[in-house]
Amino acid sequence: MRSNRLLPVLAAGALVLSACGGGGESVDTGAGGGGDGGGGGGDTLVAAVAAQPDQFDPHVTTAYPSFQVLENVYDTLVVPNAEDLTMEPSLAESWEPSEDQLTWTFTLREGVTFHDGSEFDSADVVYSYNRIIDEDLTNADRFANVAAVEAPDPQTVVIRLSQPTPNLLERIGAFKGMAILPENAAEDIDLTTEANGTGPFQLESSDASSTVLTAYADHWGGAPSVGGVEFRYITEPAAALTALQNGEVQWTDNVPPQQIESLGGDDTVELQTTPSVDYWYLSMNYGRPPFDNRDVRRAISFAIDREAVAEAAWFGAAQPNQTAIPEASSFYLDYAPFQPDPDQARQLLEQAGVQTPLTMGLMVTDQFPETVTAAQVIASQLEPVGIDVQIETLDFATWLDRQGAGDYDAFYLGWLGNLDPAAFYQDQHVTDGTNNYQGYSNPQVDQLLQAGAVEPDEAARKQLYDQAAQLIVDDVSYLYLYNPPVVQAWVPGLSGYQIRADKAVNFEAVELP
Amino acid sequence: MGVSVIVFGLVQLVPGDPIRLALGTRFDQETYDALLARSGLDQPLVTQYFSWAGRALTGDLGVSFRSGETVTSLIAERLPATLTLAFASILVALLIAVPLGTLSALRPRSVVDRVATVLSQIGISVPEFWMAIVLILVFAGTLGWLPSGGYVPLTEDPAGWAQRLLMPAVVTGVVSGSVITRFVRSSVLEALGADHVRTAQAKGLPGRQVFTWHVLRNALLPLVTVTGVQLAYLLSGVVVVEIVFAWPGLGQLALQAVQSRDYPVLQGAILLFAVVFLLINLVVDLLYTAIDPRIRR
Amino acid sequence: MTGAPLPEPAASPTATEDGVPSTARPPQPRWRQTLGLLARNPTAAVAATVLLLIVLMAVFDESLAPSGPNEIAVEDRLQPPSLAHPFGTDDLGRDILSRVVLGAGVSLRVGFLAVAFALVVGGLIGLLAGFYGRWVDDVLMRFMDVLFAFPAVLLAIAVLAVRGPGAGNTALAIGIVYIPVFARVTRASVLGVREEVYVRASRSVGASDLRLLSRHVLPNAAPPIIVQTSISLAFAVLAEAALSFLGLGTQPPNPSWGLMLAEGRGFIDLAWWLAFFPGMAIFLTVLCFNLLGDGLRDVLDPRQRTLMAGSGR
Repeated sequence: MRSNRLLPVLAAGALVLSACGGGGESVDTGAGGGGDGGGGGGDTLVAAVAAQPDQFDPHVTTAYPSFQVLENVYDTLVVPNAEDLTMEPSLAESWEPSEDQLTWTFTLREGVTFHDGSEFDSADVVYSYNRIIDEDLTNADRFANVAAVEAPDPQTVVIRLSQPTPNLLERIGAFKGMAILPENAAEDIDLTTEANGTGPFQLESSDASSTVLTAYADHWGGAPSVGGVEFRYITEPAAALTALQNGEVQWTDNVPPQQIESLGGDDTVELQTTPSVDYWYLSMNYGRPPFDNRDVRRAISFAIDREAVAEAAWFGAAQPNQTAIPEASSFYLDYAPFQPDPDQARQLLEQAGVQTPLTMGLMVTDQFPETVTAAQVIASQLEPVGIDVQIETLDFATWLDRQGAGDYDAFYLGWLGNLDPAAFYQDQHVTDGTNNYQGYSNPQVDQLLQAGAVEPDEAARKQLYDQAAQLIVDDVSYLYLYNPPVVQAWVPGLSGYQIRADKAVNFEAVELP
Repeated sequence: MGVSVIVFGLVQLVPGDPIRLALGTRFDQETYDALLARSGLDQPLVTQYFSWAGRALTGDLGVSFRSGETVTSLIAERLPATLTLAFASILVALLIAVPLGTLSALRPRSVVDRVATVLSQIGISVPEFWMAIVLILVFAGTLGWLPSGGYVPLTEDPAGWAQRLLMPAVVTGVVSGSVITRFVRSSVLEALGADHVRTAQAKGLPGRQVFTWHVLRNALLPLVTVTGVQLAYLLSGVVVVEIVFAWPGLGQLALQAVQSRDYPVLQGAILLFAVVFLLINLVVDLLYTAIDPRIRR
Repeated sequence: MTGAPLPEPAASPTATEDGVPSTARPPQPRWRQTLGLLARNPTAAVAATVLLLIVLMAVFDESLAPSGPNEIAVEDRLQPPSLAHPFGTDDLGRDILSRVVLGAGVSLRVGFLAVAFALVVGGLIGLLAGFYGRWVDDVLMRFMDVLFAFPAVLLAIAVLAVRGPGAGNTALAIGIVYIPVFARVTRASVLGVREEVYVRASRSVGASDLRLLSRHVLPNAAPPIIVQTSISLAFAVLAEAALSFLGLGTQPPNPSWGLMLAEGRGFIDLAWWLAFFPGMAIFLTVLCFNLLGDGLRDVLDPRQRTLMAGSGR
């Protein structure tokens, strides 16, 4: 569940936070590389990204721009496969859960070195995980079930659990927030501006206009074929596209959605889209009548035309969905009980005894411009059934404050980067869940979610989550809207790059034309 | 420094919790508490203020909540871009304003004067960000002559530096230039009408000499003032233009700091702007005395 | 924010300070005279007329708009200008002409409110400082200096961050930025009038401060403030546009010109009309306020007028 980073999908508008990180001085991580585009020989790939990384400590940052860079610098024990996002070996070559599911033994890859030349072994894993746990860093909740991390020998790591955790691999490998640092890295270097990983590239320098990586020749998977990668920050999607078409950059993920269609026929640009694992939803506050009334929430769900919302926000590139999990996932559930039906909506409102017009504040944030666009469409759809939507566009800090304080009728937001069904449903819908801001409580759902969290058999697990999801959708705990696409474009002839549903950007195998 | 208290107080008034923001929507109480303690935000406000102000006196402005870098290095990183744009803009502005303003003052109510007046009115009235968008559309999009934005240091790529500087400098320069043009015109007019110029003319001094010596020197005073004000404005960051042109200047930094509730960075930036403003005022005063010995302040 | 707040403090206070002191002003209303003179200045007259039209448009917005400005029709999105939609449609299929018409109300309301606020508060401060002088002057004007030392954009952004976005708060934010400007202009103007013969005369016959201020000082110190008001309106409209452009001002779906410009920015190479028409609207309005301000200055500021005439010889 990569959802710690709630990020600009389309980091368009001027207001997208990219924060101020960087690192004024060049960061020399020691071994190999050096100089502009040095390293493995070959040219530097220039990638236009929407925003500047806030910092480079993988265990602390929550910003997508940081992870775009870190993806290429650090490794995790396991890593999601590019095709179906199931976990495959990375720094761990194999693993084995015990009979009682409470002890997992990982065998580590040999011959792996960090960018400074030092050897990678089990002590580094223990150090990295304990750093997250002991200091309560950003992703500490991923280790909630972990009782101990041990290193019986240099090639073996043992993780002891307090309860069966079938999604342990996803928890430790879904993204580079769980990166393995060399032992004592936090004391040896300034992790916010420097990096020392085992990944295919090393962090060379970073400033207010770009971050430069150079190829790490001694990478365990072989040296990358490009000499380096420069992540250049171009906030404006139109400008990023122009830069790609001019040949200033060779890759970008900052493509204006309205251009997706026209770029399909443009042979100066290679454009690909794939449905992402992200989803956008509307959530109503159970603490504020009449939104505590199931009929009112269902009325609103019937009044909304998800196709039109997705079309407005993404020009046909997004996939409307009434549950959270996208079609591509093996946990997808085909369940769509709400077809747009204003009459039924009116009837339900009447049944609930609600006086129309009913005023509903809808909190959105300009940090994610698509929420502002989509909210306007939703407002126009709810008006005919007698709901007067007051859109409140807030900056994200204020937005979060009000969400935390429960000071809203409804809000519109997304969760990004989830892989496992527990990540999609658990914290958001279990009674008193840490991210159950709406105040949903259904004992049946609680039971199903708890059972799913410890069920080792994958098929049985899916069944549990399917049942939970249907209840969640029927009760309108979240009003699910759509899965946005991943949209990336590059110069024709660029090869070895694979677009991924989890939006991880990996340039290890990329070759310039 | 009364400014520092106001800076600190104002920043603290802004609602929004930087720690929650840093963690995103996925909330975990223990992580939150740990981060809060590390940031020092759990201390009483007065304690926070004195420890901040104390360190600020020694040039230590603290560490950014978001990036973990020192505020001074963040500011230093942005300073070259900001200085470049500010001085380039002033240059463009003066190149427009001095000839245009002088010409129209020398021939008041002539065609030149009227055209200049209209142009400067247009320059003042056009929204900068709109002009920026249109320029990008034409020169980066349609014609493809210039990059649409970004910044490279002069030392790395002089040609790229100049190309990227051109459009933002023209946009801000035109606006500032329009303001300054009006000042040049009225101060030259005034200087032309002043007694000592008439006296000089009456004494039969050649026109050119009268003009350069007496007129220009007197017209210079208001020009210095208005240029100083414009420079202070440009140095405090032309936020919108920086954003449209992806120019990594101080304005962008400050805006991001507001949005991410990065108090140390915001405090540092505002403090810097206030100091710059005071410094420029000081320099303007000094120049006054240098140009016109009659003024002793 | 555009060249907004800062260029203008420079643009007028100095000029008006110049304009005030030497001329004795007979204490009589001069509205008729002013209007007459203004009518003879063709540029200002045209500007005033256009502004009047824009204000009328803002007042009768809903009934003038050809279709519902917030009516979404996704299937009609991004239509180029045509007979049905003279300014085209935006990314949600809304009629841009209708939104520009409605945006006039939003933009002008914020502009007027902001300037009114700055005028009242700043004017009062300037009046007190100028009239009482000494420590009152010192305290008030030092405070104004501090406020002035803050970068205008950041000050407005910070105010909006504290108060939250929205039209009212945008007006407040812009208003606060302009307080020092009005305080300075008023103070300078009052200083010029304070020692005039008729003021001293009234004082010597024992007129109260209040009477002095309201009957003699204020009316005679007014012209530069009026000029300043017109020019400030121009910049307030610009500032509102800039703040909305940054997403801090007016809230969607209500159109303000700056917001429309911000929304249209991403579509500039695909559909130029989204950003072009609101941009033109801002430009025209601001231009007219500026021209009117210039015209007013010519009329109300005799010294400047003399200077122009004199140099015309």
